[in-house]
Amino acid sequence: MRLRSQRKPLVSYLQPYLLIAPTLILVLMFNVVPAINTVRDSLYKPARGLNAAGKPPEFVGAENFRDLFDESHYLGARFLRTFRNTIVFALATVIIGVPLGLLLALLLNQKQPLLGLWRFAVFYPSLLPLIGAASIWSFIFSDSIGLANAVLKSLGHPGLNWLGDRNLVLLSVIVVNIWKQAGYFMIFFLAGLQNIPRDIYESASLDGASDAQQFVALTMPLLRRTLLFVIVIAFIFAFQTVEQLQALGEGGPNDSANLLLYLIFQNISERRNWGYVNAMTIVLIGVVLTFTLSNFLLFERDESN
Amino acid sequence: MNRLCKSLVLITALALLMTGAVIAQDDIVIDFYFPSATANDAEGIFQRYADTFEERNEGISINPVFTGSYTDTRNTILTELQGGGAGPDVAVMLSIDLYSFAEEGYIVPAQGFIDAMDDGGAYINDFFPSLMANGVDDMGNVWSIPFQRSTPILYYNADLLAEAGYDSPPTNNAELVEIAQALTTDDRDGLLVPVAGGFPIWMYQSFAIAYGRNIVSDDPTEVYFNTPEAVAAVEFVRSLGTDLGVGPAGGAAWGDTPVAFLAGQAAMIYHTTGNLSRILDGADFEVGVWYLPSGPAGDDGAGYGSPTGGGNLYIFDDGSKSDAELDAIWKWVMFLSSPEIQADWGATTGYIAANATAWETEPLASRAMEYPQYGVARDQLQHADKEFSSYATITIQGIINKTLESILTGESEDAQAAMDEAQAQIDGILAEYK
Repeated sequence: MRLRSQRKPLVSYLQPYLLIAPTLILVLMFNVVPAINTVRDSLYKPARGLNAAGKPPEFVGAENFRDLFDESHYLGARFLRTFRNTIVFALATVIIGVPLGLLLALLLNQKQPLLGLWRFAVFYPSLLPLIGAASIWSFIFSDSIGLANAVLKSLGHPGLNWLGDRNLVLLSVIVVNIWKQAGYFMIFFLAGLQNIPRDIYESASLDGASDAQQFVALTMPLLRRTLLFVIVIAFIFAFQTVEQLQALGEGGPNDSANLLLYLIFQNISERRNWGYVNAMTIVLIGVVLTFTLSNFLLFERDESN
Repeated sequence: MNRLCKSLVLITALALLMTGAVIAQDDIVIDFYFPSATANDAEGIFQRYADTFEERNEGISINPVFTGSYTDTRNTILTELQGGGAGPDVAVMLSIDLYSFAEEGYIVPAQGFIDAMDDGGAYINDFFPSLMANGVDDMGNVWSIPFQRSTPILYYNADLLAEAGYDSPPTNNAELVEIAQALTTDDRDGLLVPVAGGFPIWMYQSFAIAYGRNIVSDDPTEVYFNTPEAVAAVEFVRSLGTDLGVGPAGGAAWGDTPVAFLAGQAAMIYHTTGNLSRILDGADFEVGVWYLPSGPAGDDGAGYGSPTGGGNLYIFDDGSKSDAELDAIWKWVMFLSSPEIQADWGATTGYIAANATAWETEPLASRAMEYPQYGVARDQLQHADKEFSSYATITIQGIINKTLESILTGESEDAQAAMDEAQAQIDGILAEYK
């Protein structure tokens, strides 16, 4: 008895660590260690020129970052343009896609015929493999044989060069992204809406609150956590976008629709650019982290008030 | 960690033992990586070649590995080698990948193997000279052997041309513009040049050559992107979609171009010979094929221009491979580049068989007899020139592609200024190699 009682605390002390160990090890191996390596490598420039093979990289401090923000540098111009595109792309997804998902959820949270079918139809795009869906869109947007231009032409418009016009191509990619994501966001809002007890609305109605008042005073505050979550994942997804670009013009003419992660991917193959690739990754992680943290802090503070 | 390593080693060892049971113990195994850029069943075809080769060469086994697109293949190989892996023994990669891989010390020249042959000269001289251009370095050493090669050619809808009263295809830019304008209607483009969609450099190069000066030379540290010829060439391509109005502004997309041609929505297109079989089989009209029209450099042939393209066979060795292994590797390279296999590969896929003898070998000989279009692609090779390749090829190609796109879409109105800026960036990079 005594022996057992002595052992027990040790086991119960170790137990939680043992339980999280598999996840912890994976996170360390595949997230933390690579992240530290990325920070280190972003401060180095690979050896270049003839007979550079096998030579160690050179420590250059913040030079890689300075080059990236230099408009006249061969990668700097691309990086700055792509960075701006990514911000526009992310904001458009959040500002248009998230409210659209909410609107769809509100519409499909009401009793109506064929409800299951409507919900499935709206959610369906998020089940499709992105690269396949984007390839179909690339046919829709095709200049000479595409559906989009066939419709425009039947209306008497000469048609648009959706993926070739530098002023249009980012918009085309945003449209595909919103089409793809809105149904996914809707599912979260729908779940959030169904967690709100019906009787709150009933008593509000009895007190004479209109539908709009109910939405502002009840639905929105009670969906707050869902909204925060959806905005954060929408933003992170936007920064992770790669597949659509592969199918929709590979970033457009002169990077007019290129996004950060895809630019990083495009520059991995040559060793000479590894310093830049790591520096770009740091910027990418930095932006996503700043946004996510500030969002959480903002909302958390609001909650505690 | 140590135990993990040990178990990994154990598992690998077991796996090796098991494969050893299938392959005879002292067989030399050659890992062969290949991409596919066409819709053909490349895996099936290479397995057939491997079987034939193994029957004739006791003690050598071929392990063909399909590695996706050209880009995927290059990235797979780089990832394996940079991660300390073995990589392939032989691989098909773009002919322009030479300096990227030579720079890293991953590949060895074929020159040593050729020198050791009794009839090495005859073997090399059988290849069309323009297809050798990208496989030879500035010292004249042969590194890679042509395998699946292509060039851009002019495809035209002979029925539409005949309707408009043209019995023969355009042979120079003036005729090209005239015919294209005559055949442009509200729902048909007269001429599509696929310079949109990320990779304008290849098509653009044919115009640069036709204007009298390629953007590359034999010196991998020199690029000529802001010469008067280079500027005039891009301005001509841009005008096709603007002033001349025979195609979309900014150019056509690569994949859309043959589709539009087959659908009768484009009267003429520039496209790769790699699509020849697909276009011949898919068209319900008479498909004409001709040299890319001559530019201002001259109708005597000097103005015909097209870069070569496609993939070569590369030999990988970091110095650790035995003579027996290298000997087996060279046998496999010789086999794939032999007239026998080139004739079969060319007839099955539409790639230009790389050596002259292959064109007298079946099944290609009768295929070329039946479809004279194949011969046009071959004969244009005498006017073909080197595809863009230099040190830091991928980065510099990226600069050129972005600059061309910004000029073609009208973002940079002043082509000369944009190309001067690009040239300065390129020179900055190449200075590291001088």
